[in-house]
Amino acid sequence: MAHLVDGVVAWPVLVGGTALAAAGLAIGCRRLEPERIPQTALLSAAFFVVSLVHVPVGPWGMHPLLNGLLGILLGWAAFPAVFVALLLQATLFGVGGITVLGVNTVALAAPAVLVHLLFARRLERGRRALWGALAGGTAVVATAVLVALTLALSGAELRPAAALMLAAYLPLAAVEAAFTGTVASYLGRVKPALLAGPALLAQGRDA
Amino acid sequence: MSGGLLELRDVHFAYEASRPVLRGASLELRAGERVALCGGNGAGKTTLLHVAVGLLVPSAGEVIAFGEPRRREREFWSVRARVGLLFQDPDDQLFCPSVAEDVAFGPLNLGRSPAQARAIAAETLAKLGIAELAERSSEKLSGGEKRLATLATVLAMEPEVLLLDEPTLGLDDAAQERLAGLLEGLPQAMCLVSHDRPFRARLATRTLALVQGRVEVDAR
Amino acid sequence: MSAAASGIRAPGPSALDPRARVLLLLAFAIAAVALRRVESALVALAVAGAGAALAGLPARRVARRLAAAQLGMLPFLLTLPFTVAGTPVAALGPLAPSAEGLVRAATLWLRVNAILLAAQALVGTLDAGRLAAALHRLGAPAALAQLLAFTVRYLGLLEQEYLRLRTAMRARAFRARSDRHTWRSLGQLAGMLIVRSAARAERVMEAMRCRGFTGRLPAPEELAFRARDAAWLSLACACLLALVAVDRW
Repeated sequence: MAHLVDGVVAWPVLVGGTALAAAGLAIGCRRLEPERIPQTALLSAAFFVVSLVHVPVGPWGMHPLLNGLLGILLGWAAFPAVFVALLLQATLFGVGGITVLGVNTVALAAPAVLVHLLFARRLERGRRALWGALAGGTAVVATAVLVALTLALSGAELRPAAALMLAAYLPLAAVEAAFTGTVASYLGRVKPALLAGPALLAQGRDA
Repeated sequence: MSGGLLELRDVHFAYEASRPVLRGASLELRAGERVALCGGNGAGKTTLLHVAVGLLVPSAGEVIAFGEPRRREREFWSVRARVGLLFQDPDDQLFCPSVAEDVAFGPLNLGRSPAQARAIAAETLAKLGIAELAERSSEKLSGGEKRLATLATVLAMEPEVLLLDEPTLGLDDAAQERLAGLLEGLPQAMCLVSHDRPFRARLATRTLALVQGRVEVDAR
Repeated sequence: MSAAASGIRAPGPSALDPRARVLLLLAFAIAAVALRRVESALVALAVAGAGAALAGLPARRVARRLAAAQLGMLPFLLTLPFTVAGTPVAALGPLAPSAEGLVRAATLWLRVNAILLAAQALVGTLDAGRLAAALHRLGAPAALAQLLAFTVRYLGLLEQEYLRLRTAMRARAFRARSDRHTWRSLGQLAGMLIVRSAARAERVMEAMRCRGFTGRLPAPEELAFRARDAAWLSLACACLLALVAVDRW
């Protein structure tokens, strides 16, 4: 799980991360029009449910992170969507840190937005399996790097743990890439309007 | 040995402890039979079908498929390959981007190669006369087309038994007629859950009713 | 929470205003993270446990959720004893865990579980709508609060849809294995859920428009922050401050 637990992040990093989260949330909420809330909520709920699915990989398995896909479909609205999902996870499932809500939000949502800025246009045009896979893989790698960085900045004694988490995440990035590619390709065939991006949808051009 | 393909003996099931749905339901399906099952809404007909293929675990009673009692999940794996269940809501069964892929899903699960599965899918769709639906997305099909598509997804696995849960629900007369005609031509033993009396009359070799959680011969 | 532990007959966390509960959880989490000693961490865990009991949480559900959360701590519990410098305790080949490292790992474990318990006790029993209202009244943007409320509403719906699709896959002899067919099928399942969610969202918007929706969602329900809530909150925060002070002293 890409989640940092309470008590491992140093105060300066915690405050900085939370500030970044607040900034991201501010931008995301401003771009979240009231008409888009049901759709964003439904997508957020869908992601939540899918991330609970256990995908067998080798002898163990993983739960998809899907922040790449979330970023593609939601853009900056990924910040509020991720925050809500983390909040629900902490309350509904009793899993997840409270003090680290901000840092975890940044770790998941910032890569989502990055992926949107990098790949959304390309996905709109075609070759969805490829760009989707790149988006999914990039998002997971970026998240793993952010988590590891947060830990590394919090103290030398946390660096081995950071390395461990990085090592655990990078192979999963391959599966996540394939998974995201499949979903992106699927959406491209069945409902390409979703891939057109939130900005275009908001202008009323949904098919 | 009873010679039955599928048998449910004295099955009890409840979704909530206070409201049992099946209270000692028994049913036997033999080769060549088409048994219709009717009963009021909420009588438990869908539940009975789901217990038959091990999707639900009864609190009491036995499921005997192809001569062997089935209790644990792994004992049902081979049953699902040979007993095709058509769900009441086609949307539950269609999830691939195209109909052809949905039809190929079953054979892929049974271990066929992707090429073989594609061929089987094309063949099955052609047999049902819906080859033109192959590349269509299931989201955009009409009720009748979806129903035929789900039938194809199940037939592609070449089952020996078919369990159909309200197959005519939501279909217009033309679609119902087409479906009935297709089913008449199939060799499989069938259990048809249906509210539709003419449909039952046309296809069924005998009719049962689920009353108070038990299966009785339909007196009507 | 601390007030409850001090023996006054409080009706339990459930009686507090949602805003007080959210603020209290935040205060508890921050205080817990500030603790350094094992003893203080134990106190925090005990208090959280008492709170969970008072909130009437079913023990099995609490245990199940705590169990699920342990995995996230594993990298730290495994490495901290060896990476924190200090007096060696034993020798496991080339590795020697230090006493300080073990203490660090232990306090981490205690604190994280204390916060998880507190979260369940304070916010776990909170209705999503009230949580959304609480957040909004505490300063969160309206869009965020509404997103929360809607997401929770749809979670149940989507979970059922997922289960139905998954059951139908099982009926066609699908078994999740570590192979491409499984990954592809699960990916398509996810795609279908998303497509159906988008379609449902359009229908929801159409229905809302038919009922006069013009672009502003109705305000979240009213909450009343009473003097009693303020009193409990202040008392609890005072106790937390005291705990941190004692810990640091």
